[in-house]
Amino acid sequence: MTQDLTPISWGAQDRFQAHFIVKTHHDVSEEDFLARAKLETKGHFASKRVTEVEWIGGALADVLNSDVELKNMITRLSYEDAHITIEPTKGNVRIYGKWKDSYNFGITKELFAVYDRIASHIKKELGSPPI
Amino acid sequence: MHDSESDVFHQMNKNEEYCEFLKKIGIDAEAKPLDVNGTEENYYSKHFSNSPAMVTNHGNIKLKGSNIDEVQIIQRG
Repeated sequence: MTQDLTPISWGAQDRFQAHFIVKTHHDVSEEDFLARAKLETKGHFASKRVTEVEWIGGALADVLNSDVELKNMITRLSYEDAHITIEPTKGNVRIYGKWKDSYNFGITKELFAVYDRIASHIKKELGSPPI
Repeated sequence: MHDSESDVFHQMNKNEEYCEFLKKIGIDAEAKPLDVNGTEENYYSKHFSNSPAMVTNHGNIKLKGSNIDEVQIIQRG
């Protein structure tokens, strides 16, 4: 019997995510609230920087694309942090970034400000007043 | 033998640890014990093919004074 050369890892891995949740309290159109940031970059490796952000997705993506200040805030984030996904699930809309290992798992003031601004747009779309 | 480090340490859950990160940047956050009200949603993405089939829920953090209602900490696998 031969050993599997590419074993599939299983069990909990050293990869974490923080999902920033906006409660919708009712079902929302999944297509409207699904969005992901598409990045344009310059440089390579450690010097890789985000130069342009385009939101791809439903109606929320159009709203986010019209917010120039949000785009500027994202271009000031690190390349890793700038990968942002917005996904509606049951009763929630989730905002999250890439999987990170336990050493790099954390939050900066700038990244939280971006998530909070996205959340304010989600609340406006839901018809609730943003804070 | 004398050591500068204490023999006693407080082991933190991942959501408590993340809650401390949020407090450090000035966010009013409170880590909730796991399944405090039994209404936590188990995350599973049906939209993206590269999402893991299984995730471990490390609990939620309640935020105040923010557009974000809560933060859920999950681990892959």
